Amino acid sequence: MTNLRVFSDSFRAYALYFLSPVALLIIWTWVCSAGIFPEQILVSPAGVFETSRELWASGELPAHLQDSLLRLVWGFAIGALFGLLFGVLMGLFKSVDNFFAPSFNAIRQIPTIAFIPMLIMIFGVEETFKIVIVAKAAFFPVTLATYDAVKGVPRTYFEVSRVYQLPTWYLVTRIVLPSTTPPILTGFRLALGRSWMVLVAAELIAADSGIGQMMEMGRQMFRIDIVLVGVLVTGLIGFLLDRGLRSVEAHLGKWKYR
Amino acid sequence: MIFSIKKYISLTGLFLGAISFVFGLLSDAQAADSAKEVRIATVAYNVNGKIGFNGSAAIVEKQGWLKDELAKLGVKLTWVPVTAQSVGVTINEAFANKSIDFAGYGDLPSVILNSGGVETRIVVPGGRGNNVYLVVSPNSSAKTLADLKGKRIALHRGRPWEITFARYVESNGLKFSDFKISNLNPGAGAAALAAGNVDAFVTLSDAYQLEDKKVGKIIWSTKSSAQDWKMRAELWGGKDFIVQNPAITQAVVTAYVKAAHWTSQQVNFDEYLKIANQNGQPEDVFRREYANDSATWQSRWSPLFDDLVSDHYANAAQYSRKANLIRKDLNVNQLFEPRFLNTALKTLKLEGYWQPRKSAGKVS
Repeated sequence: MTNLRVFSDSFRAYALYFLSPVALLIIWTWVCSAGIFPEQILVSPAGVFETSRELWASGELPAHLQDSLLRLVWGFAIGALFGLLFGVLMGLFKSVDNFFAPSFNAIRQIPTIAFIPMLIMIFGVEETFKIVIVAKAAFFPVTLATYDAVKGVPRTYFEVSRVYQLPTWYLVTRIVLPSTTPPILTGFRLALGRSWMVLVAAELIAADSGIGQMMEMGRQMFRIDIVLVGVLVTGLIGFLLDRGLRSVEAHLGKWKYR
Repeated sequence: MIFSIKKYISLTGLFLGAISFVFGLLSDAQAADSAKEVRIATVAYNVNGKIGFNGSAAIVEKQGWLKDELAKLGVKLTWVPVTAQSVGVTINEAFANKSIDFAGYGDLPSVILNSGGVETRIVVPGGRGNNVYLVVSPNSSAKTLADLKGKRIALHRGRPWEITFARYVESNGLKFSDFKISNLNPGAGAAALAAGNVDAFVTLSDAYQLEDKKVGKIIWSTKSSAQDWKMRAELWGGKDFIVQNPAITQAVVTAYVKAAHWTSQQVNFDEYLKIANQNGQPEDVFRREYANDSATWQSRWSPLFDDLVSDHYANAAQYSRKANLIRKDLNVNQLFEPRFLNTALKTLKLEGYWQPRKSAGKVS
């Protein structure tokens, strides 16, 4: 009986989970068949599926995806690493914090997209520019999350460790790391999502390849089906990245209470 | 109560039915154009807070004849301004969702649109076309296209000058893949050239402005090549609109032919420059664009459906298919709708004013 209820509860949760995408799909199909928009402008889900299969089979979509993800990995790795370092320094040392806080907070408020023209001027339209913009997008959320996490470690933890005369490595691995990991991971997750969005936007403006460029080219060639494939793939990738980091978060969350 | 509401609804339905029947009869009896408004999209620029049109549309608007003529038919004329940075895309999308009826714009976007299943027709060909330029940075050692092999070239894909550039590339025995093509809009392309991010830039007469600012050097233009290579822009109309509104279409076509005739007279050259080139570029730029050209000033404005036009579109369709810009072959003959033009030439007594241009190579 209990098993059945658990099963039905989890089924309901799953059903709810899939309800909104399915509803969206149904509305999309309905709007297409009702002919509210011309078929060239709003392509049906079946048409988009067909196009994505073609793009996948021709190797075009995998190639764009690879380029985009490679830029994301590099940019995010660089941005997150610097963010981590900078966040720890600002969190631990008051002087670093005081020195950088004003400019850090001012630059943080500027949308990354607004930097695109300037970055093109400095770094050109090649790969560097895209990696820099992703790194910039990742840097700020990671720095902030790290800073807050380090600041948030209760003083009592340090006091206790001093009382017990714990060795430094023990303090770091058993106290500082576990207590800062969850908020930092949340920062990583936010940063990754933002990096992905910014990258696609940058590719729309200046790139030879990548998901964003595939969409821009599709629009120029009046292939709205390709644009929609891009929209779906962008959404899906963003969703998967988020899910991936969420499960890492959950996993490490358990470790915290070990 | 419920019963009476039902009765009321059914009565209303009957009444509405009767009204629509009477109106249906009336409109059948008139058999006239149903449109109350005609929307023409045109490239426009915002200079000093004022919107200025470009080319023929500017002349048509200045002449005012079309507005008056349409007013006689009870039809309102609306200009739909489009930014020069993305003319083709904007107009194609507008044609597809039927938010415009006519548009003056280029060859390649139109081929792409028609191949996508949205049917439009050329009602007035745009003359001999505009020149396309290949610009490199001022200190570049490149003198020919071959020197740019392996280098980065800014080219906004799907725009009319792509066809011109593709022909030039092909005539040199080269391929697009011999270069690194950056898909940048004209504004970004010019900036990229100025900043040294690209080695060359394919563009229109703004090439002269880049030369004046000392950030570019023209190494090639269509002035020197056969006339067929110039980029073309025509007056296009939505197929359904043309079929349903022949009288309005005729008025629009006649107005554009009138404008072309006025423009093509050498005495109006100076005034034309003042009216039609309100895009913030110095007049001097346009003088250079028009100077020493293989097409004479009068023939430059020829609206005739001649071999030049049909050859050009045959080539454009062929190129688009080969370059995988369109998915299926396009029968270009379906793009031409010359009957309104012929009537206009007759009405305006301009038959024989322009000479049709024969197939490639021969200059009129």
